[in-house]
Amino acid sequence: MLKKYPTVRYVLQRAIWYFLTFLVALSLNFFLPRLGSDPVDIMMAQSSFSSPEIRKQTEENLRKDFGLIVVDKQGNIQRDEKGNAIKASKISQLVNYIGQVFKGDLGTSFKNQKKVSEIIVQALPWTLALQLPTILFGWIFGNGLGALAAYRRGVFDKVIFPLALLMSSIPFFVFGMVLVYFFGIVWEIFPAVGAYSLELTPGFSLDFIISVAYHYILPFFSIFLILAGGQAIGMRSMGIYELGTDYIKYAKWLGLKESRVLVYLFRNAMLPQLTGLALSIGQMVGGALITEMIFSYPGLGMAMLTAIQTNDYPVIQGVTLLITTSVLLANFTVDILIALLDPRVKQSLSMDAK
Amino acid sequence: MKFSKLTACGAFALFFAFLVSCEEKEAKTAEAKTSGYPRSETLYLAGSQWGEPNTFNPLVEPWLVAWPANDRFNLMYEPLTAYNSLTGSTEPILGTLVSYDAEKVVVDIQHEAKWSDGMPVTSKDVKFIYELGKRFPQAPTSYVGEFVSEIKVDTINDGVERLSFMVNKKERDNPLVILDQLQAIRIVPSHVFEKYLEENNGDFSAVKKIKCDERPIVSGPYTLAQYNNERIVLVRRDDYWGNKVLHDGALPVPKYIIHPIFKNNDAFAINLQKGDLDASMNYIPRVNEKKKDAVNTWYDAPPYFVPGSMHFLFLNNTKAPLNDKKFRRAMAAAIDYDAISRLALSNYAPKMKPGLIMPEGLEKKFYNEEEVSKHSVPLGDKEYAKKLLAEAGYKAGFDDKGNLKYSLGPKGDTLPTLLIKAPAGWSDWEAIVNLVVKHLRSVGIDVREGFVDGSQYWPALPAGEFDIIMRKPPVAVTASLPWNRFNAVMSARNWVAVGEGSMNENEGRYKNKRADELLDKIPLLLENEEALKSAYIELNNIFLDDQPVIPVCHLPEEYYQFSEKRWTGWPTDKNPFAPPQLPWVGSGINTLWRLKQVK
Repeated sequence: MLKKYPTVRYVLQRAIWYFLTFLVALSLNFFLPRLGSDPVDIMMAQSSFSSPEIRKQTEENLRKDFGLIVVDKQGNIQRDEKGNAIKASKISQLVNYIGQVFKGDLGTSFKNQKKVSEIIVQALPWTLALQLPTILFGWIFGNGLGALAAYRRGVFDKVIFPLALLMSSIPFFVFGMVLVYFFGIVWEIFPAVGAYSLELTPGFSLDFIISVAYHYILPFFSIFLILAGGQAIGMRSMGIYELGTDYIKYAKWLGLKESRVLVYLFRNAMLPQLTGLALSIGQMVGGALITEMIFSYPGLGMAMLTAIQTNDYPVIQGVTLLITTSVLLANFTVDILIALLDPRVKQSLSMDAK
Repeated sequence: MKFSKLTACGAFALFFAFLVSCEEKEAKTAEAKTSGYPRSETLYLAGSQWGEPNTFNPLVEPWLVAWPANDRFNLMYEPLTAYNSLTGSTEPILGTLVSYDAEKVVVDIQHEAKWSDGMPVTSKDVKFIYELGKRFPQAPTSYVGEFVSEIKVDTINDGVERLSFMVNKKERDNPLVILDQLQAIRIVPSHVFEKYLEENNGDFSAVKKIKCDERPIVSGPYTLAQYNNERIVLVRRDDYWGNKVLHDGALPVPKYIIHPIFKNNDAFAINLQKGDLDASMNYIPRVNEKKKDAVNTWYDAPPYFVPGSMHFLFLNNTKAPLNDKKFRRAMAAAIDYDAISRLALSNYAPKMKPGLIMPEGLEKKFYNEEEVSKHSVPLGDKEYAKKLLAEAGYKAGFDDKGNLKYSLGPKGDTLPTLLIKAPAGWSDWEAIVNLVVKHLRSVGIDVREGFVDGSQYWPALPAGEFDIIMRKPPVAVTASLPWNRFNAVMSARNWVAVGEGSMNENEGRYKNKRADELLDKIPLLLENEEALKSAYIELNNIFLDDQPVIPVCHLPEEYYQFSEKRWTGWPTDKNPFAPPQLPWVGSGINTLWRLKQVK
């Protein structure tokens, strides 16, 4: 079946694999947070009670609300012979959870009784607004610089290359703190923390937009420069490698125009960089945690950190699910794109089919 | 070209979506403003809200409720009285303390007190919250019934209602805690919540789901204006009843109070230094170096803050060798407390004195230097610690560099390595633990750091699953000090063995019959100063003899730090018109009427 359509077959094969990976990841997302202590234990220990009876009752009510103990249809807590509430088994919780996920219900946060989807919808725009432009511009700028350095060489390369190397080897949280210290505290040019001035009410006002833009500068550069540095190095070495290949030599020998040669060069050098871009877009959802912490910036990373600290299972699961899905989707897209675009891969697919 | 246009469109769409989403999260409340809050009229306070505000319903478990509807804040909902931690006096808010003894605590309700909807505050409101536990055992104030058996209401002259909180003689028999509760329990409008209950057919858990964030009915000087996950905004209520009755007709100076929700500890220091935050209660190292940026504290010189709470190493009294009091006493002697204050706490802790009674402030009257030195081990005396250990039969071996090689118990058995649990990332506690480990190992006690994630630290505590654990008991600076401190570390009233359940005080499982008797007796000695003093001395002596836990430092209840860039007139030791607290709790709130704008 489908032997005549190797590409479709390939896509289906990949899709099945990715679906299986997704299920495994879903179960891991479910079990890993549950390895540690229970969210109710954490809540109970942080509050004080005057008597053990009240403590026990509060604890049972919380467990009931969170679906961690077995209840009958009337909502009564089921008990064992000793009168202790029976804990819901992890497997039944997992089955329940997967069922809900496929219905599009991510559950409700234990901590603030808010829909997990609502928490994500609130946090995601900040993360995307910080990450997507940074990644795109960093990628374009870095690759442009790298290509120029590879082609021009000389003094230009001698300056750009060490600079890019330096930038890409600084951990981005260190760079973020350095930016905060100098630009935020010592010279007071930019705001050190936050996403907008707290005097303002979020909304469509010019003041607010200006404030957001002003607060955006430091976090943007803290990622942008480092990302661009890394891209420039990759592009430069790819470019230099491609310059030495036979087809470029042949093209030059044929006397093609320089711009034409450059186009060939970039198209080929770009391929691994494109893969990298797709992957980093997949990972960006989870990748901003440290930046968000340094700049006290709202976003998914912060939402996840707070959830982990309180073992808020539904939120942890919801965010990790989002990260998993976007990484898998990005990988899947890359797989498909490569199959469609790279003639070598395409060739091998048709060979397999025969 | 195409690509960049596409990117531009994409970026714009994203920005648009993002603005829309920002707008949605803003609360739709009474006095919502769209333009913003002028910095000159706004007081920025921080440190009591981490993470997103959840609900402002005062009937929900306090740890789920957002500032300032949680804990003891009296900006929106007010308690009957406020405790002044500086003078020890009980100041009137919704009520005036008339008298107290072993039988009852008597309070008059302010006749002029009103809710924001114009209804008077009456005994009905007080009885509603105090007796809620009788109707709904899961109410957060249900513990009150163990202390207060009944509230009697009499009407005295001019229709003023007089409340008598009768001490529950059969259960706790503790008027001291009733005094604490006058400040801890905030009165809520019964007419509002009775209506909610009615609408939900008496289902308390349904009422708890109401967020109370739209036009809440409050009695305090401020009310909720807006909130999102970046900040909570309160706006002044110009018709607050207390302006006339308690503050000679003056208004609180700041029109708005904003609590920014920061995501990390550095944000407090950075914003305070930049003048974007006016006061904070979080630990900031070397705060004295920030004076040049107009950041100030209560005292100009060390310890900078007023000590009010003790931080402890709780010891598992049921586990060898920590079940040996000689061993515990040796530990107390071996620690160099001066080094801890100097190296770990930026000199914020004053010179350490042994025992559970603070030698300064309001507790000074119970402190007896002579008795303490008779019963205590000398603090920071390594030789004494070594001598104690040797006498008790403990042996230790060191290598040439002085590192501990082995430590043996009295029977020649190798002692287990004891781990000191502390939450990872609490930098001041981590620094303390590092020093304690160094000091104890140098006298031959095998201990190590055991920093764990908060999700492991908190559950381990009540369960007693630790060797040694850093702990600051939730003991507020209230009328019942130092009784509540002794209670938190020595009471075996709710004893549960390790592995069989949880204890929310005395987590180290210490047991002493005489100590429990004294803990029961002290609250009833309110009028008898001499008997009270001797009971405290006896209790403190038991503590010093047995050393069930080790106090490591005396620190402030909150690190009261303020910036004078935008607002001046903060209370300090030179101008102590209010206690060293942020203007949101107890009588610290009086500061709000005394602040001055910097022009």
